[in-house]
Amino acid sequence: MNASLTSAIIPMAVFLPLAGALIAVPLGRISENARTIGLAIICGVTALCSLLVLPGVLDGTVYEIYLIRLTPQIWVHLSVDSLGALFGATVAVLWLLALIYSAGYMAGGHRLGRYYSFFMLCLSWTMGVAYAGNLLTFLIFYELFSILTYPLVVHEETPAALAAGTKYIMYILIGGSLVLVAIVFTFFVAGDQTLTPGGFLSADMDPTHLLLIFWLFIVGFGVKAAIMPLHGWVPDAHPAAPAPFSAVLSGVMVAAGSFGIMRVVFQGFGVDLLRDMGVMPYLAGVAAFTVIFAAILAVNQDNIKRRLAYSTISQMGYVTLGIGLLGNQAAMGALVHITNHAFMKGTLFLCAGLLIKRAGMHNVSEMRGAARRMPVTMAAFSLAALGMIGTPPLSGFISKWYLGLGILEVNEPLYLIVLLGGALLAAIYLLPIVYAAYFKEPPALKSFDESTDGREAPATMLVPTIVASAMTLFLGIACAMPGLPVSLARMATETFFR
Amino acid sequence: MIEWPHWMAIVVLAPLSGAVLTPIVSLRDRRIAPWFALATMTVTSVAALFLIMRVAQEGPFSYPLGAWTPPYGIELRFDEFSAAISVVCLVGSLAILCSVRYTEWLRELAKPRIPYYYALMLLNLGGMIGFMITGDLFNLFVFLEILSLSGYALVAVSGERTAEMAAFKYLLMGAISSLLVLFSVGIIFGITGSLNMVDVTTRLASVAADATMPAVLALGALTIGFMVKAAIFPVHVWLPDAHAIAPSPISAVLSGLVVKVGIIGMLRVYQIYYGSGILDLTVLNQVLLWLGAISIVMGAFFAIFQDDIKLMLAYSTISNIGYIVMGLGLSTNLSVIGGAVHVFNHALIKATLFLAAGAFIYRTGYRTLTDLRGIGRAMPLTSIALSIGAVSIVGIPPTAGFLCKWYIALGAFEADQPMFGFALIFGALFIFIYYIRMVNAFYFQEPIHKEVLRVEEAPLTMLGPILLLAALCLIMGILGRIPLTFIEPAALRMLAPLGG
Repeated sequence: MNASLTSAIIPMAVFLPLAGALIAVPLGRISENARTIGLAIICGVTALCSLLVLPGVLDGTVYEIYLIRLTPQIWVHLSVDSLGALFGATVAVLWLLALIYSAGYMAGGHRLGRYYSFFMLCLSWTMGVAYAGNLLTFLIFYELFSILTYPLVVHEETPAALAAGTKYIMYILIGGSLVLVAIVFTFFVAGDQTLTPGGFLSADMDPTHLLLIFWLFIVGFGVKAAIMPLHGWVPDAHPAAPAPFSAVLSGVMVAAGSFGIMRVVFQGFGVDLLRDMGVMPYLAGVAAFTVIFAAILAVNQDNIKRRLAYSTISQMGYVTLGIGLLGNQAAMGALVHITNHAFMKGTLFLCAGLLIKRAGMHNVSEMRGAARRMPVTMAAFSLAALGMIGTPPLSGFISKWYLGLGILEVNEPLYLIVLLGGALLAAIYLLPIVYAAYFKEPPALKSFDESTDGREAPATMLVPTIVASAMTLFLGIACAMPGLPVSLARMATETFFR
Repeated sequence: MIEWPHWMAIVVLAPLSGAVLTPIVSLRDRRIAPWFALATMTVTSVAALFLIMRVAQEGPFSYPLGAWTPPYGIELRFDEFSAAISVVCLVGSLAILCSVRYTEWLRELAKPRIPYYYALMLLNLGGMIGFMITGDLFNLFVFLEILSLSGYALVAVSGERTAEMAAFKYLLMGAISSLLVLFSVGIIFGITGSLNMVDVTTRLASVAADATMPAVLALGALTIGFMVKAAIFPVHVWLPDAHAIAPSPISAVLSGLVVKVGIIGMLRVYQIYYGSGILDLTVLNQVLLWLGAISIVMGAFFAIFQDDIKLMLAYSTISNIGYIVMGLGLSTNLSVIGGAVHVFNHALIKATLFLAAGAFIYRTGYRTLTDLRGIGRAMPLTSIALSIGAVSIVGIPPTAGFLCKWYIALGAFEADQPMFGFALIFGALFIFIYYIRMVNAFYFQEPIHKEVLRVEEAPLTMLGPILLLAALCLIMGILGRIPLTFIEPAALRMLAPLGG
C-alpha cells in the first residue's frame, strides 16, 4: 500500500470511533442489534486500519501526520512507528473482541447508550495514545481516556462501584498531574520535540532537572502502570467494572502506563543518557518487587476478578522490569509482553465474566466443577492461564524467554529468580482455579442462576473469548511471522539500542 | 467600514444609552425589554467586532472623545487587552437571552420591575466595556463606579433577605476599593499633573526621585483596590455569597466578567508602572504570586465542602482568578499571555457553568447536589454542557482551561519558581473532587426527589446559550492558538521596558 493512503488511514483509526460514540445512542433507539452491528463495523474498521499500517511500518517507514496547531509553538501530531503501531493494533483488536462480547454480556442492562458511547470514546483516545507523536499529544489523549473511563468504571452504579470509581479517579488524576508537570518541565528544558529513538534530552542539560523529570514521569505513569506502591486503584476498579471493560482496562489501559514509560525512556531520554544517569536499576528493583509481591497478594484473593487484577499488577511489573534492565532483548520482551498479556488477561476476564453471568460464580471457592457445565469457557480459561504462567509454546512463554535472555544480556542473573518466581506464583494463583473447575465435584445445581442454568453462553460472548484465547496460542507458535509482535518489537528496540 | 473611528464611541455609548432607554420603550409592554436589550448588545457586538479586527490589523489605536486631543481631552484607547470586550458582549448577550424566561419565573422580582433588571444589566455591561477601553485614569474610576453600583443592585435584585445582606457586604467592600482607586488616581494626578495613561507613563518616568514614595503609595492602593474587585485572597470574602445569591444569569455576568475588571485594572496599572520604569516591581510580583497561589488552593479547598452548586462555582471563581493573578505575578511573557487568555476563557467556562446551574434551578427549584440527584437523566443536554464546563475549568486538555494552565506552569519554570507550577496544577485537583461528586450526583446516584426525574430540558432561550458556550469551551481549547497569538504583542509590550 502506498504511503499517502496509509497516512489517511491513521487519523481514521484514531477518530472513526468518535463517530461510533455519536451514533451509539441513536442506533440504540432503533434496536439493540442495529447498535451492535453498527459499532462492530466501526470497531472492525478501526482494527483493520491499525493492522493495515503494519506492513508499511515493517518496511521502516514512520508515518507523520500533523493535525492542528494547539498553541503557536506546539502541534498536535501523530506519528506511527513500530512501537506505536504494535500497541495500536493490540488496542484495536482487543477492543473489537470486547465490544462483540459486550453485546451478549450487557444485554438487558441499564444505560447501554452511555456504556457504548464511552466505550467507543475510550477506544478513540487510546488509539491516540498509541499514535501520539509528541509529549503534548500523548498527554491530551492520555488524560482524555483516563477521565472518560470513569463512567465505565462506575457503570453498575452500586455504592461499591462508586467507591472504586472515586479511588480510580483520584489515583489517575494525581498521576496525570504529575505527568503534566513532567511534560511542562520537559518542554521548559528542551522545547517541543518529536519523540525520536535515542531521545531528545541530552546529557548537557542540568542533571537535577533531568533526574526530577525522570521520576515525575515514572511516578506519574507508574500510577496507571500499577507499579507498587502506586497500584491501589487496580484491585478495586477491576471487580467493579463490567467484565468486557475489565478486559480492556487490564489488557491495554494499564499497559498504556507502561507504554508511556517506554515512550519517555527510549524516545525521550534515550538509552545512553539513562545509563549515565544510573537511575534505571532502581526502576528495575521496584518492578521486581512488584512482580513478586503482587503475585503473592493474588494468591490470597477469593474474588476471581480481584485475583486477576493483582495478576495484572504482577505481569505489568514484568514489563517495567524489561524496561528497567535497559537491554535490547529485555526491552523487546517487555514490548512483546504488553501485547501477549493483553490477550491472555483479556481472555481470563472475559471467562470470569461468563462465569459470573451464566453461573453466578464470583469467587474462586465457588468454582468447583465449573468445567462440566461450561467446558468451552474453562478450556479458554485454562489455555490463557497456562500462557500467563509461561508454558511453551504459548505467547506468555515467548515474552518471558526474551526477558530471560535480556536479564542474562545485561548480566543481572538475580532477576532470573524474579522471573521464575513470578511464573511459579502465577501457577499458584491460577492453576487451583483450573484444578477446581475440572476435578472437583460441582455443588448442587440450584446454586446456579435459574434463568441461565449455568450452561455455556451464546456465541456473541463465547466467540470473542475463544478468539482471544486462540491468540494466546497463535502469538506463541507463530511468533516468528513478520507483522506479529516479535518482529515489530525487534524493529523498535533496534532503533532504541543503535 | 472597519476603519470608521466612531465605533469606539458607539461601543460604550450604545449599552449606556440602551440602559436608559430600556424602561422607556417597555412602558407599554414589559416583554419588549429583553429584546430591546439584546438589540442594543447586538449593535455593541458589531462595533466590538470591528474594533477587534482593527486592532488585529494595525495594533493599538486611540480615539479622542469629542475630538479633544489628549492629554487634555478624554481618550479612549483600544489595545489587545481591550479585546476582552468581545467576551463581555458575548456572555452579556447570552445572559440577557437566558434572562427572558428566568426573570419571568423569579418570584421575588416584581413583574413591573423587570425592565429595570435589563437596564441595570446594560449599565453593568456598558460600564465594563468603558472600563476596558478607556485611556484615562479618572474615566477608569467613573466606569468602575458605573459597573460596581449596577452590580450591587443586581445582586440584590432577587429581593430575599440574604440577597440584601450579600449585596450590602459586596457594597461595603466595593466602596472601600473604589475609594482606594480614587485616592491613588488623585495621588498620581498630584505627582504628574496628568490623568491620561500614556501621558502619566512618560511623566512618571521623569519625576524626581523624591516622588517615589507617593508613587509606591498609589501603586499599593490601586493594587489593593483592584484586588478587592477581582476577589483575591484575603479580600475575597464578599464574592461567594454575592455570586451564589444573585439570579443565575447575573451570576454568570458577575463571575465570568465583573471580577475580570479587577484583572484588567491591574494590567493597566502594570502598563503604567512597567512603562515608566520608576519602581522595581519584584516585591509586588512576589506578593501577587503568593496571593494567587493561596487563592487557587483556598478557593478550590472551600469549593469541595459546598453542597450548594452555585456557592461551589463561586469558590471556583476565586481559584481561577488565582491562576490569572499568579500569571501576572510571574511576569514572564508566557505567564502573562496565559493569564490574559484565561480572562477570556474563564468567562466562557464560568458562564457555561452558571447558566447550566441556573437551568437546573429554573426547572426543579433545587440548588444543592443532594436535591439535584438524578438530574442528568432528566436534562441530559444541560448536564453534558455542565460536565464539559467542569472538565474545562479543571483544565483537562484539550479544553479551554488547559492552555492557561500550560502557559502559566511553563511561565513558572521560566521564572525559576517551579513550586508555583506545582501549586497551580495540584490546586486544580482539589476542585476536581467536587466535580466528581457532581457527576456522581447527576448521573450515578439514586434520586432523592422523584419529581427531579420528570422535569424537561430548559426552554430554548436557555438551552441554546448554554450549549453554544459549552461548545466554545471545547473550540477555544482546540483553536487556542488564535487568542494566544492575538494577545502576545500586548504582553510583550507590557513587559518590554523591564528587560530592555
